[in-house]
Amino acid sequence: MSAKESTIKKKNANNKKSINLKNEVEQLTQELDKIKNQLLRTIADFQNYQKRMEKELKIKENETKQKYLTEIIDLNELLKKAYKDKNPKEGLKLIIENIENFFKKEQIKYIECIGKKFDHNFHNAISTLEKEECEEDIIIEEVKKGYMLNDKLLRPSHVIVAKKKVE
Amino acid sequence: MSKIIGIDLGTTNSEVAVLEAGKPTVIKSAEGQPFFPSVVAFTKDGEMLVGEAAKRQAVTNPEGTIHRIKRKMGRGEKVKIRDKNYSPEQISAFILQKIKKDAEDYIGEKIFDAVITVPAYFNDDQRQATKDAGKIAGLNVKRIINEPTAASLAYGLDKEGDHKIAVYDFGGGTFDITLMEVGDGVFEVLSTNGDTQLGGSDMDQELVDYFAKEFEKKYDIDLRDDPKALQRLFEAAEKAKIELSSTLQTDINLPYLTVVKKEPKHLEMKLTRAKLEEIISSFVDNTKQPCIQALKDAKLKPSDIDHIVLVGGTTRIPLVKKKVEEIFGKPPKRDVDPMECVAVGAAIQAGVLSGDIDKDIVLLDVTPLTLSIETLGGVSTSLIERNTTVPTKKSKVFSTAADNQTSVDINVLQGERPMATDNKSIGRFHLDGILPAPRGIPQIEVTFDIDVDGILNVAAKDLGTGKEQSIRISGSTKLSDDEITKMKKEAEEHEEEDKKRKEKVEIRNNGDAMVHTTQKTLDELKDKFSKEDKENIEKGLKELREALAGEDITKIKEKTDDLSKVLQKASAQIYQQAAQQYQQQQQTTDKEDKTKDESWSGKPSGDDKTIDADFKVKDDKKKTDKKE
Repeated sequence: MSAKESTIKKKNANNKKSINLKNEVEQLTQELDKIKNQLLRTIADFQNYQKRMEKELKIKENETKQKYLTEIIDLNELLKKAYKDKNPKEGLKLIIENIENFFKKEQIKYIECIGKKFDHNFHNAISTLEKEECEEDIIIEEVKKGYMLNDKLLRPSHVIVAKKKVE
Repeated sequence: MSKIIGIDLGTTNSEVAVLEAGKPTVIKSAEGQPFFPSVVAFTKDGEMLVGEAAKRQAVTNPEGTIHRIKRKMGRGEKVKIRDKNYSPEQISAFILQKIKKDAEDYIGEKIFDAVITVPAYFNDDQRQATKDAGKIAGLNVKRIINEPTAASLAYGLDKEGDHKIAVYDFGGGTFDITLMEVGDGVFEVLSTNGDTQLGGSDMDQELVDYFAKEFEKKYDIDLRDDPKALQRLFEAAEKAKIELSSTLQTDINLPYLTVVKKEPKHLEMKLTRAKLEEIISSFVDNTKQPCIQALKDAKLKPSDIDHIVLVGGTTRIPLVKKKVEEIFGKPPKRDVDPMECVAVGAAIQAGVLSGDIDKDIVLLDVTPLTLSIETLGGVSTSLIERNTTVPTKKSKVFSTAADNQTSVDINVLQGERPMATDNKSIGRFHLDGILPAPRGIPQIEVTFDIDVDGILNVAAKDLGTGKEQSIRISGSTKLSDDEITKMKKEAEEHEEEDKKRKEKVEIRNNGDAMVHTTQKTLDELKDKFSKEDKENIEKGLKELREALAGEDITKIKEKTDDLSKVLQKASAQIYQQAAQQYQQQQQTTDKEDKTKDESWSGKPSGDDKTIDADFKVKDDKKKTDKKE
């Protein structure tokens, strides 16, 4: 084989190599474009999903509102009747019973607090009262009732807590 | 890569936000609030409390509770609690730890990095102290940024070229004004001023005093001596303040507020916005001087300010907005929640640092208007709703409107109106070669595909023959703002009449379909109906056809309903007969296999053709529904 022949052969091999590389680059570029496009579509899909969820959340929120507002509307009608009643005690008793039953159904529970030791998990101290003889940090007055919803705090009891008078 | 959170470490409350798919979300505390009280407490039993829990017990444990630690940051002071010394960095770290934990619970992964905001007037020591607090809490503080800068970021003001911004921050306890200059995304503080003893809580106090005085006038008793009543007055004041931000008058009704001489007394009064403004005006006026001083220090005139950003809950009060407008001579920006915008801005900065905000990826375009095609009766049936992020692809299956229809016309529309003629036609093409078939049988799948450059590709494919036709429409997302506004406005203006028109077309389409179904049923089942039923159906059919020839929509609806009832009644009878026949047959042929006729899935004997046809229609419908 002459030197010339070998150079040509080498050249051909190089050409082939570069064509192969070119093809590979093209293929990879195409693949990259495809994947980039897929990524963008996934992000867009996610953003559209977020938008849809927001819409659905609003609908859900309205449904919940509806449920509770209907109860309040009924209550209002009944209270209006009681207001017109000359002797409303009996009626009011039933109305309150209805509300308490509704609370029970919704798993809303009143938090007992008078005489108990203050607990930041359930109580919110709005002030303290100094007393000569008392146990420290015992709740002596309930300013606003607190409630639990299932196992979660719906709102804490607002309370006044006893403090020992320092001589 | 894990998320970086943005924290607004405040004097009274702190907030935290994170970027999710390019959108900032404010994270709620475990107690369910969108903020964390910046309060730390050590109880007698040695328990440490942070946030809501610490706040609740504060009055019973004043010696063990720390408020407003931010004011001591970077001053080298220590706080002594229950015989132990703590640096302000440590106390702040407890707050940051609580925020970190609740944020981790929310996101569902560990958090290592944070961006924390500080007031613009914080010096290097105070900034370093904040950074150290983060470190103690186990957070790698990627950057400390100024609160007003964060608020401006929440409004995207870094992208609007060179301009000057005033950030007016009126919170519960303090007032800050910061003037800044922004260029190439870099913020420079020009001047700051403020009042550390001025805030929304002063207004509440003033309002409570007003309520108490009014009550005293009437009953000669000072409610402020009664902690029970006082608590309710504060709640009422807060509520009234919020309500009067959107209404002009509110009722303050506090039944059974107190007992005077064994008689229950109620507070009952009206509060107008004007009265509220009279009560709080002095506080609002007090924000003017710091603003003027800040302008003076920055050597600026009010007219030099391009944007005003509001921060803090108190800026929701209309009088405050009015004051700001009066001081700077232009209305403030107001579309980001003023309570959240600092944390939101910090989260955006965090997103930039973590590479979450890569302009190519996250800032995807949205379709400014709904894209639809024209369907039977000139109705616009939407495929891609307005405000959908692109690139996106949606398909729907349609069918033919007439028997033996061999081509469909795809008219691509853009706009919010329900009728095709009112929207803009942006492209049109035909798909032909559909095999002749009864109406409703061919399935033509129409696909809208918008790529990232906003080029819309619409394709229609006959699922029966596989024949396909498509069109490319460029610039579907690139409309001028004027055009979008005009089209949206038109849609709003014509909403009522459009609805009616669409209803009319729908009634007509329903009538049309009813005629078709009835005719088909009659042709197929003519021997099955009783003579009387057949006559009734034919009569109804004739009447509906006559109605459809006219313009009276109520009549069309009425006749459609009538015919539907007659047809249903007649069909029910046929089914009953078939069932009876089937039962008889079953009883005679196979007495044991009785379970079968309980379910309707069994194929009744007799006329197989009828049942098949019925199933087919159902099937078709199902398929179509699924694809939609």
